[in-house]
Amino acid sequence: MKEFFKFVQKEFLHIFRDKRTILIVLVMPVVQIILFGFAISTDINNVRVDIVGDIRDNKVREIAERIDNNKYLDVVSEYEFVTMINDRFRRGKSDVAVCFEQDFSKKLEKENSASVRIIGDGSDPNSAQVIANYVMGIINDENLELGQGGIDRGGEMEKMMPPVKYQYNPMMKSSYNFVPGVMGLILMLICSMMTAISIVREKETGAMELLLVSPVKPIWIIISKALPYMVLSAVNLVTIFLFSHYVLNVLVRGSLSLIAFVSFIFILTSLALGLLISIMASTQRVALLISGMGMMMPTMIFSGIIFPCESMPVVLQYVSDIIPAKWYIIMIKKIMIEGVGIAYILKELSILSLMAFILLFTSVKLFKTRL
Amino acid sequence: MWTYLLEKEFKQFFRDPGLPKMLITFPLMMMLIFPFAVSMEIKNINLVVVDNNQTVTSGRLIDKCVKSGYFRLVEKSPTPERAQYLMDLNEADAILTIFSDFEKQFEAGNELPVSIKVNTINGSKGNIGAGYLSNCIRNFVKEESAGEMASAGSNIDVSTKFYYNKYMDYKVFMVPALIAIAITMITGFFPALNIVNEKETGTIEQINVTPISKSVFILCKLIPYWAVSFFVLSSCLIIAWIVFGYTCAGSILTLFIFTALHIMVTAGLGLLISNYSDNAQQAMFITWFFMMVFMLISGIFTPISSMPLWTQTITYLNPLRYYADAMRFIYLKGSTFADIWYDALGLFVIGSVMMGWTILSYKKSK
Amino acid sequence: MENGNIIEVKGLTKKFGTFTAVDNISFDVKKGEIFGFLGANGAGKTTAMKILCGLSKPTSCEGYVAGFDINSEQEKIKHHIGYMSQKFSLYSDLKVWENIRLFGGIYGLKRKDIAQRTEVIIKTLGMQDWKDSLVGTIPQGWKQKLAFSIAMIHEPQIVFLDEPTGGVDPETRRKFWEMIYDASEKGITIFVTTHYMDEAEYCDRVSIMVDGRIEAIDSPKALKEKYRVNNMDSVFRILAGGALRQ
Repeated sequence: MKEFFKFVQKEFLHIFRDKRTILIVLVMPVVQIILFGFAISTDINNVRVDIVGDIRDNKVREIAERIDNNKYLDVVSEYEFVTMINDRFRRGKSDVAVCFEQDFSKKLEKENSASVRIIGDGSDPNSAQVIANYVMGIINDENLELGQGGIDRGGEMEKMMPPVKYQYNPMMKSSYNFVPGVMGLILMLICSMMTAISIVREKETGAMELLLVSPVKPIWIIISKALPYMVLSAVNLVTIFLFSHYVLNVLVRGSLSLIAFVSFIFILTSLALGLLISIMASTQRVALLISGMGMMMPTMIFSGIIFPCESMPVVLQYVSDIIPAKWYIIMIKKIMIEGVGIAYILKELSILSLMAFILLFTSVKLFKTRL
Repeated sequence: MWTYLLEKEFKQFFRDPGLPKMLITFPLMMMLIFPFAVSMEIKNINLVVVDNNQTVTSGRLIDKCVKSGYFRLVEKSPTPERAQYLMDLNEADAILTIFSDFEKQFEAGNELPVSIKVNTINGSKGNIGAGYLSNCIRNFVKEESAGEMASAGSNIDVSTKFYYNKYMDYKVFMVPALIAIAITMITGFFPALNIVNEKETGTIEQINVTPISKSVFILCKLIPYWAVSFFVLSSCLIIAWIVFGYTCAGSILTLFIFTALHIMVTAGLGLLISNYSDNAQQAMFITWFFMMVFMLISGIFTPISSMPLWTQTITYLNPLRYYADAMRFIYLKGSTFADIWYDALGLFVIGSVMMGWTILSYKKSK
Repeated sequence: MENGNIIEVKGLTKKFGTFTAVDNISFDVKKGEIFGFLGANGAGKTTAMKILCGLSKPTSCEGYVAGFDINSEQEKIKHHIGYMSQKFSLYSDLKVWENIRLFGGIYGLKRKDIAQRTEVIIKTLGMQDWKDSLVGTIPQGWKQKLAFSIAMIHEPQIVFLDEPTGGVDPETRRKFWEMIYDASEKGITIFVTTHYMDEAEYCDRVSIMVDGRIEAIDSPKALKEKYRVNNMDSVFRILAGGALRQ
């Protein structure tokens, strides 16, 4: 046991001597959480609309104004020819074009019908669809007003609109969704990058042999390596958390101690992942590239932060299940925003704990055989 | 002098135990796995129904919702508490409550006694879920009461059409962006470890004591990454064509020109970080930081226009904003160089600053 | 240069913050001699040498190396010097001949000359069997000899050797000094740091640095006579006995 404390002391000294790295590790997540917390949102607004047709036409002008008054839409240009739309899209000047047929008002009066075509930029199908729906909604409103006096369609429609209750996030703040996600992403990647280098470095310098001839068991060597990083991660967690709450205004409905406990398990899992990489990698460079570059995209995509896991093909849903961050993010959302207790997160918590155990166990096993 | 240094860089690259393998697997992973995973489409919304009416009519409504294809019926809960419990567990995304007088009111043609509750931690998902449900209910009313309700011929006839992407396929939208990410990551991370590695092994001293000029040395470090990026770009384009049948709408040459400009920034940044770092771990952390920032505020995943003004301003410093934009425009819409000159300008300015800074900050003597 | 000095240094000082690594030293090195730069670890030898090679900037100094000003013409100096660092610094992931070729190329030798010199180096060192091996895989002694040969590939006027025989066996050390004599015979000036005092005996002249200052500078013979001892080790002990930095 005495040797173990010696080791721990040595590791602490070794890691905390490199002030610059410590500074980097502590400042980076704060900058990222603020930047991403504010910036990441899937809302679509400030849509640039082109009006195509005869703008002197009364009805066209009326609809154009209606569109411009919508808080999501801005009319940026008006012109006559449909042929120009392609050019405008290709230059990235507008997002949607609303095309009115010739003699729009006249036709509407005489034939009681006139046509509008919404031309969207399908290169981004998701936004295009949403934007088209915005515009369509506005034109339908116009339609309703035209129809007033006749049948009371407005009322009829109203009847079919059931009341909707928005649970947990009535203000629909996107930060509620993305901040826990970003927390999980940053923590996991930083933790595993920190430990990824720890063992392979000693292998390269030959210092590992010294450790191995000592009477300390491998498990304790691994723990002594991970402990200083555990402390750093804890500091990171607290800062990230404070910034999420006080700067990004994310609610914390649930219990703080539960959050701390869940985060501890998660950090442990991530550190263990880094250790495993470190044991398997042949050089520092490979270890760093795998933990930094190799893990970035899978974690970002498969943790469900931006793209919902439920919409993925079944095989990829299984892939997403092995990403620790996914489970952490689900739990953090539940505790922080729904405010539920431990009974509601048992499934996720046991999966994450199992992962931590398997990773640590494999690390120790491989550590013995590889060296 | 150039040829010898270049020869050295290439040989070192190919002899590395990890780099060539990563160069092959990374684009493969990016093109074969991620396009399937990135989908903004909201499907399989977990629906819980609390049916207090229990009649044939209410049954038909539930049927209607399930058949719409957007929902997965988790269960019909006996009580609202049970439904809420499921939502807290994250098993339910939406709850449809049908009140006991549903059939009566429906037959009377009155307002329908139903209510919807959605989990809006993920705001857009909740919103869309509520939208789908309302739609189902509306369609239900329309169909069931067809004939009774005089359908008023709409005065303005609205139709929609989408350019560039007939089938509204989200994968094709992400493919050029994923290529951009693959290139950015490889040409950012690899060089970041390069100079710092020479520092750690001490070989840089042997170079510094020779009369070689700083810019030649740095440029020789940069050139291999052009080759690397062109390899990645070509292989990704080919994979996209073979696997998905996607082809570039614009000129492939323009794609290469933009890539060449972009490498000045990414490899320049990598080398710059490498210059300033004491060890590989530092270099890695800093590069990782920039890569995350580049990616998440580039407009690749979420629109730039939805960001607050101050972050929007920051994105002007983000090379990936210009590069990903250009890749998408050229690949999807066939934009020409003249169409998106502003993206080229952005990359060129950032790239020149980056290269200049890298060369200046590389000190042959301390 | 007129007086036959290839290196002239006056008042060389290097400070790192408040620490003075090299404290106002002055010395000359004559063309063609083997100049031993002695001192204990931390005495400031390597720092001073790095300044002469242009790897480090002096805090203050006047002087010339190979006829060029130390302060303003560092890059020109680099054409005329060779350097072998304490830490082995050839590329271990390149083959033996590739390292030779690389440095030949960097110094601007012609393709034909590089090929010819590669041949010569490999033959003189007797490394025919190692030619195609990665430098990282060959034994330490060979690495040192190779590094020395590569430091001289462009036929420099001066070669700086920073503890070239650290960590090698006595036999290799002896061979290494043979190589140094061969180079010296060709008229190349050798500037070598070492803390092996027996090696000091092989030098034409030596300087002994203690705590950043030069305490003595003369031929080994003269120094031994001056301090009335029969080997350099004793000279060194007398001079460095009071050193503060160890």
